[in-house]
Amino acid sequence: MAIEVRNVVKRFGAFTALDGVDLDIRSGELLALLGPSGSGKTTLLRIIAGLDFADTGAIRFDGEDAVDRAAKDRKVGFVFQHYALFRHMTVFENVAFGLRVKPRAERPAEADIRRRVGGLLEMVQLAPLGDRYPSQLSGGQRQRVALARALAIEPRVLLLDEPFGALDAKVRKDLRRWLRHLHDDMNITSIFVTHDQEEALELADRVVVMSQGRIVQAGSPTEVYDHPADSFVFDFLGGVNRLEGTIEGGVVSVAGTPVQTDGEVGGNGPAVVYVRPHQVEVNPAPGPGRWRARLRSLHTAGPLARLELEFAGRSLEAEMPRERLADLGLAPGSECAVDFRHARVFRKEDGRQPQEAAPVPAL
Amino acid sequence: MADPGSSRRPALRESGLSRALLIGLALLFLACFLALPLLAVFVQALSEGIGPYMEALAEPDALSAVGLTLTVAAIAVPLNLVFGVAASWCIAKFQFPGRSLLITLIDLPFSVSPVISGMVYVLLFGLHGVMGPWLREHDIQIIFAVPGIVLATVFVTFPFVARELIPLMQEQGQEDEEAALVLGASGWQTFWRVTLPNIRWGLLYGVLLCNARAMGEFGAVSVVSGHIRGKTNTMPLHVEILYNEYNFVAAFAVASLLALLALVTLAAKTALEWRFADQIAASRR
Repeated sequence: MAIEVRNVVKRFGAFTALDGVDLDIRSGELLALLGPSGSGKTTLLRIIAGLDFADTGAIRFDGEDAVDRAAKDRKVGFVFQHYALFRHMTVFENVAFGLRVKPRAERPAEADIRRRVGGLLEMVQLAPLGDRYPSQLSGGQRQRVALARALAIEPRVLLLDEPFGALDAKVRKDLRRWLRHLHDDMNITSIFVTHDQEEALELADRVVVMSQGRIVQAGSPTEVYDHPADSFVFDFLGGVNRLEGTIEGGVVSVAGTPVQTDGEVGGNGPAVVYVRPHQVEVNPAPGPGRWRARLRSLHTAGPLARLELEFAGRSLEAEMPRERLADLGLAPGSECAVDFRHARVFRKEDGRQPQEAAPVPAL
Repeated sequence: MADPGSSRRPALRESGLSRALLIGLALLFLACFLALPLLAVFVQALSEGIGPYMEALAEPDALSAVGLTLTVAAIAVPLNLVFGVAASWCIAKFQFPGRSLLITLIDLPFSVSPVISGMVYVLLFGLHGVMGPWLREHDIQIIFAVPGIVLATVFVTFPFVARELIPLMQEQGQEDEEAALVLGASGWQTFWRVTLPNIRWGLLYGVLLCNARAMGEFGAVSVVSGHIRGKTNTMPLHVEILYNEYNFVAAFAVASLLALLALVTLAAKTALEWRFADQIAASRR
């Protein structure tokens, strides 16, 4: 089912949760709403589900106005952040709930309910646990029960609020992959909310980045990662170095050395250069267009080595394969030279400036 | 490490001596202020043997007092159950103007003296009260009759269910209800299938406490009852009358019955807690 969100505004008292949001969700796609807390992503999800109502604006399901339709009539599958499983019901009864509360005329026969719930439990790999209570399950199992329960009513759209937020790292990765396969099999329009950029980029067909109640950018994961619309998106989508510099006559320079940058540079004035840690090139010897730098510290756990460097009074983070580090033969305290394979520049007075000044550690 | 005796004790466990002292103190206090008076009631009641004890209970006035007490509880408790659930639902799940006023009002019966609660009804429905003349014209008697006793009891036991449920429902939040709605349940279905099962244990405690107070209420009921033997005397009032007549055996016999009701209530609560321990743990999760 395609969903249209048109100019939706939602205020809670003095706080504006959604400030004129427009979004088209295509039928069958897996869409991520990505943003920091307070960006309005969960509010948007709840408005689509009918759990909250927009002050102004329209929501259309397949072109049909959904605003006046109550949550119970929207046929929306909603997976809550903390699952909201009915604690006094077994896993089986939780999944069967949506079928049992149907009006008598539409309610399936008991045998049919058993068959359908059995099938769903099979699908989420919980068939043997039907008689357990939610409190007897692990976090990942509860998550899958919540999903099966949401799917039982054959929803037209599946909404997931921070679906992996409460799980530990390993389970999270497995479930993410599993959910992607499930979506590909069922081909149901799905929207999930997350503040984890890695999760959004890995799982979604399309990522919608939100900030302060507005959509900042929407596009495929590669698009938003490679061509962030502004400094906020650049910053939010992963580890980044922010370097103070200047623009003069169309040339950006940091500490007196010009920087090769992508995209428009803009007029003269102070600027901030954004460089991802893996775009930092570390060389053993100085050369033209390179800055002299000193290696402050080194983290070598994992496939990538993380280097903390210092140049011209600025700190800089770099990432490289461990083999490359071994070739360079660097140790903390040693001198080297750096330049950037890619960098983006944003004028300093740009509306949305990231707040912290130090480089964000890579995730 | 060198001294295994003292250093291997968990950090938060007291030494043997202070533990024994604290436990002993608590037990002594319990014995003096709870167990001893209770025991005294039964000892006094049975001081002249089982015969006079049974006689005192079988007396028509005593039987009528027991009957009235049970009747009043049977009316007041269900009323307050319905009111308590409705009020806590409103307060815990919605924000509306006047919400904090409602919370204060619910606590009112706890904060005013029961005597005043009774007086209020006398002022409202008594012969010279606000509605007195109208009631007399229509031949309706509320004060010095069963309706007055029921009203006073309902008022005094107002807060028990609500007070038990409000924090519980607030803690549980409304995600479960939202989940039910999204799954297509109607408001009633959500209430019966999700909300009520989630609060059933809190509700049961509230009802038990409410019941205990409804049967034991003295002050408010005393003001509105008129103490008509065999007609408007509840058990606590009957005990007082007998006591004032120096009829100690009978007074304590009825009192022991009242105490027994309280003990049964407590026992029922404990038994339920023990029987459904896992479910309670799960619903408090």
